[in-house]
Amino acid sequence: MELNVYTPKLAKIVQAKDEVVGTRTIKTFRTEFANGARFDYRCGQCAMLSVFGKGEAMISISSSPLIRDYLQFSILRTGRVTAALHDMEVGDLIGVRGPYGNGFPIDEWRGKNLVFIGGGIGLAPLWSVVQTALLRKSEFGTLSLIYGARTSRDLVFKDELADLKSQMPVHLSIDVAEPDWKEFVGFVPTNVLEKKPSPANTIAITCGPPIMIKFVIKNLKDLKFEDDQIYTTVENKMKCGLGKCGRCNIGFHYVCKDGPVYSWAELKKLPQEY
Amino acid sequence: MAKIEDLKDEARKLLREGKVKYIIGYGAGSNGWPAAPLFIKKPEDVDKLVWDPTCVHNLVRFLVDEKRRKARQRQPDKRPVGIMVKGCDSRAVVVLLQEKFIDRNDVYILGVSCEKTGVVDDTKLAKKLPGKKAKKIEVDAQNRFVVTTEEGKTEVAAAEILAERCLECKANFPVIYDLLSGEKTKRSLDEPFGSLQKIESLSAADRWSFWKEQLDRCIRCYACRSACPMCYCDECVVDSINLAVTAETTADEKAQRIRWIQRSAESSENLVYHLVRAIHLAGRCIDCGECERACPLDIPLRFLNKKLEKEAKELFGYEVGFDAALPALVSCFRDEDPQDFIR
Amino acid sequence: MEKTLAKKSFSQWVKKLSSWSVYIPRKDEEGRWNYAEADSGGVSLDVLQTTLPPKKILFPQREVFLEFAKTLAGNRETLEIKEVLPEVKPTVIIGARPCEARAAWMLDEVFGGEFKDAYYWRRRDQTALVGFACTIPPSENCFCTSVEGSPHSEEGLDILLTDLGDRYYVQSMTAKGEKLISAAKELFEEPKPEARKQVKAAHAESEKKIRRQLKDARPIAEKLKGMFDSPLWDEESMSCLRCGICTYLCPSCHCFDISDEVDNPSPLRGQRVRTWDTCQFPDFTMHSSGHNPRPDKASRLRQRLLHKFQYFIQVYDKFMCVGCGRCITLCPVGIDIIKVLDKVRDHGA
Repeated sequence: MELNVYTPKLAKIVQAKDEVVGTRTIKTFRTEFANGARFDYRCGQCAMLSVFGKGEAMISISSSPLIRDYLQFSILRTGRVTAALHDMEVGDLIGVRGPYGNGFPIDEWRGKNLVFIGGGIGLAPLWSVVQTALLRKSEFGTLSLIYGARTSRDLVFKDELADLKSQMPVHLSIDVAEPDWKEFVGFVPTNVLEKKPSPANTIAITCGPPIMIKFVIKNLKDLKFEDDQIYTTVENKMKCGLGKCGRCNIGFHYVCKDGPVYSWAELKKLPQEY
Repeated sequence: MAKIEDLKDEARKLLREGKVKYIIGYGAGSNGWPAAPLFIKKPEDVDKLVWDPTCVHNLVRFLVDEKRRKARQRQPDKRPVGIMVKGCDSRAVVVLLQEKFIDRNDVYILGVSCEKTGVVDDTKLAKKLPGKKAKKIEVDAQNRFVVTTEEGKTEVAAAEILAERCLECKANFPVIYDLLSGEKTKRSLDEPFGSLQKIESLSAADRWSFWKEQLDRCIRCYACRSACPMCYCDECVVDSINLAVTAETTADEKAQRIRWIQRSAESSENLVYHLVRAIHLAGRCIDCGECERACPLDIPLRFLNKKLEKEAKELFGYEVGFDAALPALVSCFRDEDPQDFIR
Repeated sequence: MEKTLAKKSFSQWVKKLSSWSVYIPRKDEEGRWNYAEADSGGVSLDVLQTTLPPKKILFPQREVFLEFAKTLAGNRETLEIKEVLPEVKPTVIIGARPCEARAAWMLDEVFGGEFKDAYYWRRRDQTALVGFACTIPPSENCFCTSVEGSPHSEEGLDILLTDLGDRYYVQSMTAKGEKLISAAKELFEEPKPEARKQVKAAHAESEKKIRRQLKDARPIAEKLKGMFDSPLWDEESMSCLRCGICTYLCPSCHCFDISDEVDNPSPLRGQRVRTWDTCQFPDFTMHSSGHNPRPDKASRLRQRLLHKFQYFIQVYDKFMCVGCGRCITLCPVGIDIIKVLDKVRDHGA
């Protein structure tokens, strides 16, 4: 029976990993649908996760759609629903509904170089497109990642980043120097200027805290990237995820339905209210 | 008669000399009710101020907004704001001073006396002159209301269209002010708490069904809370999430916040919301009647607050909003406070 | 289909609609109007504007979406969720104003589309709207003709009734409307030629009686595109109380919240419900981090006006405001949407 659009499918947590411990706790979860339900999505899309009794939260799917066994979500512990999710264990059931949003137009980027720029937990929404690009490597030009966090402890996907270094250039950074840190020290936008990605036949995809995105876009423009060469994914408070409850709009767009992925050319035309 | 010209002169002077940031007063409304709140920043706009029996709004609410505005600014302008107050409104200022929510230097109080009358109730007026829109209401020498409609002028005895609370008025002229226009007239009042008699005479079962029927209509628009100057909490018991969130608020604090009242406008939730709000206002409500006036579904909210006001008087001899130096009712204890209800 | 119905037969028609849930405007002792279920009391359409629009029947303040329950079977805990779609009897709302019916069309668009809202459509599909042309303006503040509506518009209605003195002119536009008429077809008559003339005249007259006007609404919508950063919003929102009256009483406003209500914490049992919400509340857009894209009253007033007069037009080429005037009449501090938009139009002129 086809469930109505508000009813989630039940999914079991099959993996729960501590990504970042301490104050800004992040955990990565993998889920499998309880009844073997099909769930097709595009990279950059999100799903509404339900903790029954607490509520729902819209989280981007960080695993590649080419991986069919599970869905992966990296979640910052920040409020009622996310705290409840963090307290859950492998085997617990949650609700998943979606996929929502427009996703990255990855097919339009065939033949181009892709530079991924992330900050903090902003790497999670980008991860699905990073992994997909790797799995379809022959279709794209060079791939590279510029990623940073406040401290070395706040970096997500630490193990995966170590693996990633053998597959593409990975430039990491942290905000303040630490004794064993050998890479760049400074903010991610500054590292972008340092590493000078070339705009020639390149698409830059960035995600992170709003202030980081703002300065990354500015610096990419200084490096002569055009507005339609810069892509980002925005977030807003969401409840329905279907473009109905009226909450997440930026101008006449609903971030849950018409976004969350935007090129800077599109985003700068909308009211800067996000 | 309180004269708006007195206030206009003072307001003009204050703005010209830069002594206040802006003036909160009454001006012409456009939606069918003659008066509306007006914010004046320039001395030349002072002529827009009005004072008449349709100035029913309690402007003290905007002092709460002003405080919030300052809190959001990095370098706030510390000058006071000017505010027009009636007698009842001035008592709200006293409560805010009492609770140290604002400082005396934050306000320049332009007081007006209602003398022998008060303000007009829109429902009573609509019943008295059905289908007619009041363009202007004035008080004549015999303290009758003269209502101008499209068809001309009609005289109405004040008692017929005065707001209920004006019939039990405790302060027909401001108890605190920097300037007062109008006389400090003595007036005979209706029996204090007379409006409660009808409800108090009902049996407990009838009272319960009365309130259930009234509160079932509530759509939880929170106009009552928004209009009340004393509902200034940054985070209200009925809010379902933390509102006063800073960078230091932990996830646990947000996660552990209890949802005391659901958002559903069901009987149980509406009842708890209104009763809790009434109790939170016990010893603080000065009966400006804004909650009831703002309510789009005309729920008689005043009665809840009035009843607690009566109890505050009977049990503790406490009258709200006259002395800013007194401690707030629920934050102090006197040896002679009654204890017979403690078992 | 066009008929006439003698006013004295009106109550009989309503009685014959016993297999429908019938909603009709009712006046209480204080003279307030609201839609309520018709009972054995007399029915009349001598009404002024209701406080709450009929949207509360199609889109109730509280709607249960699903129930969830955990059960302990041995030492295994299982979680079950169950959809709770509303069971709705055929419903008819009699006396809806043309503006309210147009608003229903807008709700149809919002709750339809790519993700059809089953809860709304369960109610909507079963609901017929019998409209009442505004030969007497129902409100001091209505301005439907300024936003491309009209006091005799048929949009969104199944039947339109026009008062001709001793009878109603009955225009039926849909199959639902015809079904309502055939429930008591003996009460309806074929319209005489002068009735047709009368109704045309009544409709033309009704447009002239509209109390208020908003000049140049379309150019205002266009001008709003460039007014996002204007200081106008701060000035106009100074007296706003940030209550929810304007939006809750608006026939086309539809913002909502979804929350879980727990009846029993252990074993967990509760419901997921939808409740009305409003862009005017400060926490509407607040992120969990505390970041709020609309932190002040100015940005929230701007959102309400832009949504109604610009964003909706960009998506649907229609004003979302139907000009009923409720927000103007019921705002406790008299914020007047027409006055604000007049200022937008004349800004910088």
